[in-house]
Amino acid sequence: MSSIGSHRPEEAAPGAGYREGFDAAMSGRRAECDGGKAIEGTHFAGRQEFAGILTGHFRDFGDYPWRWYLMTELTHRPSGYAHEAVWCDSGSVILEGDE
Amino acid sequence: MSGPLHTPLCDKLGIEYPIVAFTHCKDVAVAVINAGGFAVLGEAMHSPEQIAADIKWIRDRVNGKPFGIDLVLPASVPEEKTVEELLAQIPQSHRDYEQMIKRKYNVPDPKQAPNLHIWGGLDQKRALAQVEVVFDERVPVFASGLGSPAFLLKRAHQLGIQVWGLVGKPRQAKKQIAAGTDVIIAQGYDAAGHTGNIGTFSIVPQVVDAARGSGVPVIAAGGVTTGRHLAAALALGADGVWTGSLWLASRESDVNLPLKERLLEAETDDTIYSDCISGYTMRTTRCPWHDEWLARGAPEVLKPPLQMLLSANYIQGSLDYQRKDLMTEAAGQGIHYVTEMKPARQILSDLVEGALDVFDRFASA
Repeated sequence: MSSIGSHRPEEAAPGAGYREGFDAAMSGRRAECDGGKAIEGTHFAGRQEFAGILTGHFRDFGDYPWRWYLMTELTHRPSGYAHEAVWCDSGSVILEGDE
Repeated sequence: MSGPLHTPLCDKLGIEYPIVAFTHCKDVAVAVINAGGFAVLGEAMHSPEQIAADIKWIRDRVNGKPFGIDLVLPASVPEEKTVEELLAQIPQSHRDYEQMIKRKYNVPDPKQAPNLHIWGGLDQKRALAQVEVVFDERVPVFASGLGSPAFLLKRAHQLGIQVWGLVGKPRQAKKQIAAGTDVIIAQGYDAAGHTGNIGTFSIVPQVVDAARGSGVPVIAAGGVTTGRHLAAALALGADGVWTGSLWLASRESDVNLPLKERLLEAETDDTIYSDCISGYTMRTTRCPWHDEWLARGAPEVLKPPLQMLLSANYIQGSLDYQRKDLMTEAAGQGIHYVTEMKPARQILSDLVEGALDVFDRFASA
């Protein structure tokens, strides 16, 4: 997976398992992400909340597709989260004004 | 069947009691299913092959009764690095602190070092490979224990699979209901493991309100360990309860015996909501690792997955040598009422009887 330290994601490498794109309608939208993932080495999971600006870049995984948006300019991130951006599942993104 | 415990969830699943057991143990799942409840097997850390084998194992023992599989769909994914790169990021001060704990509590080395290299892949690709097994096997219920399952609803419904979503906030429930999720599990802060920060008594009615008119049943989760909790959940408008800690010390549970004893002894305030095990906040039973990382002067907890890399030897060593004094497990605040090692069938029966007693009491008042 490419670094998400910069605001512009790297292009998908062959076999990366996703297709990349850009949705201008999402670009610049302020949003929150009710995120989280499985915890390495355990059968548990952890929640993580983010808030920031969607760049409009997305990645589609699988045939459904499962869409993920890149969020940057983070105004809220978990304690200790060292990165400047995060990929968020579209189903877990709450756009400002939509709540 | 009718009565106060017969809810739309019972009709939706064809079950006798609106009680869902979430468990990582296949034996518990089968016992609950065959006793008239419903069980969801947590398979997040298993390979697709293992998941397929577990599904077959359960199918062979439940005579066509329905069951579910729970996976942890990621909802956000940060940058990935190699294990070596991650290990190099752990400060020496934190390694020294881990070694201090090891010496102070005589924590044994694991019999075999945890294989950190198999931790990778907790991402979209792995989750999709797991989901495909659930689809291929036409498991009656797919439960998403974390992320939104909205993206797979169409395919699941084409295959006749119900999709359940576990939420920690009312807004997540609204979004999932709008997307077409079949059942919402409203999980309160009392619960084991990852939770939101809203208590069960507050989140359940809010999610019930959000689901009103949609026909989507709501299941209450978090701290449910007695019939009184079940009755209260139904009174809040829920259609059933999701239980986890209740089954950890059951006779069928594959949790090792010293840990079962620890759970049977645990009080509510022996559970703690902290990020010191993994870097993610989660509710687990308190152990010396917590005591030291929450002590004044302790180093700041590292971000995930570094903290888990740091705690891995402690966790594995405590399990390998069955050190009850060191062990920790995810457990909810309802653990106070888990006091006996009973068969799962009896636990379910006690829950039902306890709830019916409540309704009888109100009916005769």
